[in-house]
Amino acid sequence: MTNEVQRAHLPANTSEARSRAVRGAGSRIDDVLERAWHLLTSMRFGIVLILAIAGVSLIGTLVVQVPPGVEANASAKAEWLNEIRPRFGGWTGLMDQLGMFNIFQSVWFRSLVAFLAASLIACSTNRLPKLWRTATHPHVSVSPRFFEHAPQHDQIVVRGTKEQALAALTASMRRHHYRVLSAEDGDVHVYADRYRWAPMGTVVAHLSIVVVLAGAMVGSVWGFRDGNFMIPEGSTVAVPAIAGLEARLVSFEDSYYSETGAPADYASDLVLLQDGREVARQVVRVNEPLRYSELSFYQSFYGPAAAIRVSDPLQGDLFADGVALAWTAEDLGRRVGTFTVPGRDLTVWVVGTSGSSDPLVKPGQMRLEIYGAQDGQVRATRTVDQGEAAEIEGLTFTFERELQFTGLSVARDPGTPLVWLGSLLLIAGTFLVLTYPHRRVWARIVMRPDGIGQLSLAGAGKRDLDSNTEFTNLIVDIRAAFAAPTRA
Amino acid sequence: MEKMSEYSFVAAILATALALVAYVAYALSGLRAARMQTAGGPRVGFFGTRTAYGPRTASIGQYGTILGWLALVFLIAWMVFRTAATGHGPFSNMYEFSVAFALGILAVYYWIERRYNQKILALVALPVALLLMLYATTIPATVEPLVPALQNNLLLTTHVAVAIVAYGSFTVGFGAALLYLIQPAGGRWGLPKPDVVDEIGHKAVVVGFPFLTLVIVLGAIWADVAWGRYWSWDPKETASFVTWLVYGAYLHARVTRGWRGQRTALLLVVGFAATLFTYFGNLFFGGLHSYSGLG
Repeated sequence: MTNEVQRAHLPANTSEARSRAVRGAGSRIDDVLERAWHLLTSMRFGIVLILAIAGVSLIGTLVVQVPPGVEANASAKAEWLNEIRPRFGGWTGLMDQLGMFNIFQSVWFRSLVAFLAASLIACSTNRLPKLWRTATHPHVSVSPRFFEHAPQHDQIVVRGTKEQALAALTASMRRHHYRVLSAEDGDVHVYADRYRWAPMGTVVAHLSIVVVLAGAMVGSVWGFRDGNFMIPEGSTVAVPAIAGLEARLVSFEDSYYSETGAPADYASDLVLLQDGREVARQVVRVNEPLRYSELSFYQSFYGPAAAIRVSDPLQGDLFADGVALAWTAEDLGRRVGTFTVPGRDLTVWVVGTSGSSDPLVKPGQMRLEIYGAQDGQVRATRTVDQGEAAEIEGLTFTFERELQFTGLSVARDPGTPLVWLGSLLLIAGTFLVLTYPHRRVWARIVMRPDGIGQLSLAGAGKRDLDSNTEFTNLIVDIRAAFAAPTRA
Repeated sequence: MEKMSEYSFVAAILATALALVAYVAYALSGLRAARMQTAGGPRVGFFGTRTAYGPRTASIGQYGTILGWLALVFLIAWMVFRTAATGHGPFSNMYEFSVAFALGILAVYYWIERRYNQKILALVALPVALLLMLYATTIPATVEPLVPALQNNLLLTTHVAVAIVAYGSFTVGFGAALLYLIQPAGGRWGLPKPDVVDEIGHKAVVVGFPFLTLVIVLGAIWADVAWGRYWSWDPKETASFVTWLVYGAYLHARVTRGWRGQRTALLLVVGFAATLFTYFGNLFFGGLHSYSGLG
């Protein structure tokens, strides 16, 4: 960006004007396209776009957002809206219509980001050839006027031949790590610069954002995510996304600091089985996910579970597994889980205690509510002690013991490599362009026949402390280089 | 170690407060000098003995600088002792982070003061640092073990250490913007010239912006490790993203005619508001970052 301003001091680059003239009268479509291009490459439009995205994002922090998964589920969404209705009153409906509760998936946000991506690509395409030319084909000779009007300029009286002067000047500039180019047309013209590739950081930084966006898109299209993958202790559960892969939870431990009572650790001892064969085992902690193949398993939440056995007098065990009490009932805060009895038309709800004051389910007990899976009719409800067998519907239900379940987040995101690549480029590009401004200096040596001549120098930096200091340091050295031989 | 860090912290507060007093005296002397110049140049004192005040009473400003550097040294000592006591960078709760924020402000401010020799900026930077430290005194400073989400010493230390550099820079940028906005074109009241503060504001963002980018990327890496996704639009994430956008807009605006000057200075103020919002946000908007230690 800074380059455009610097360019203003320089002799105009004529190729652009020429190309514009050649295009001349175009059709209507060309006109529209040209206008769109002009808009997308306009810095003002860019600033307005950035601020608009900032404004819309701000809504996302100020207004409560729908938890993931709720938006897609109509009844859950309605329930959630009712929950927050007291906060926004009559505005709730309108705000929902406007997507304010799901702002980052809203059409507003997405269109702004799409515009931003288009603008980033347009600006980069626009800038790249110019930056390339500036780096590779700089103007070595500039007009005499430039030496009077440049942001930094100075003049030195020199003695000797043009060749000597050029050699001394070149040596000084190279000591300051400048690249030096020269041309001669009677007078000697010199161009020197430093960090000539750094302005490319602009293009890198801008395009890196497009790379990150592409990564996010790849992730949302081809990625997979299950944020509610629950396994009771001792149970084995099929992992979605990979056929034949199962996860078994050996144990789950939650521990707390003795002084403060704050949580200290959540640890799931997890085994992965591919077609029954153990392929990975790790204690999964909050900061230590298990990575297997393209999948990652993250410690996300946990809760109580119950080991339940259901047996038929003739067929033996129909069901013997842990049941995660994954939900919390609204009224008293009892934990609730569910399973279906294989081969029977029965759904069982397992209800845990809400604490010692619970009149219905005491600690150490579980309440079993058995419904017809098809008709939803209650068949029986029974509160059972640990180890107690209950005869219901001709089956024996046993609550064997209390367990815990772990809640994992299972994800495969093929977009992440792109996101990290984009992030890396973003940091590198931003750092490069902001830390190493392209330093450019022009010089002209005009020698009189009597061996006394003038060396004019001009810098095209900004009129700021850094550019001035850099130029001054360079001039001091050049002066010293020209002063030394005459003294000797 | 914990005791030592507490002593250093108290010493830093005292040094900052005294430095601020010196800077205020320095500014007032400058204001008086500026008035006298408009009233007809340096005058002879009442008793005819003193000939003239300098453009500013430089020695008072020098005391401010020395005291401020001392405060910075005390804060670095605080950080070293606290790190030794906890085993990670002292950035895990609101107390530690507030003091670290003040450290970031002082560090960036003194870097800028050395470069540009504009002490008036201290009138904005130091009060913000002081307020943050005083705020920190209201929060329990006991060393507490980390909750599971924060148990990543490497990322905790780098993510937040980088953040305080960015936040410190933006505070200095805010100071520069204020000095720009309160004076009419051409400058007044012995304040640094608008061009100079504009340049300082830009320099602060040139440093702060890459650092903020790094904060966000490190945060995304950590989120990917701990929460299972690199970006979840958590309120604090979003607020830092908004801050990043505002400073991104600033960098573009500063090279756009019509936006330069007044509007860019306003963007620096908005950016600093966004920074504070990001910083204090987890106190009221919950989300995944809510482990401030304040319940």
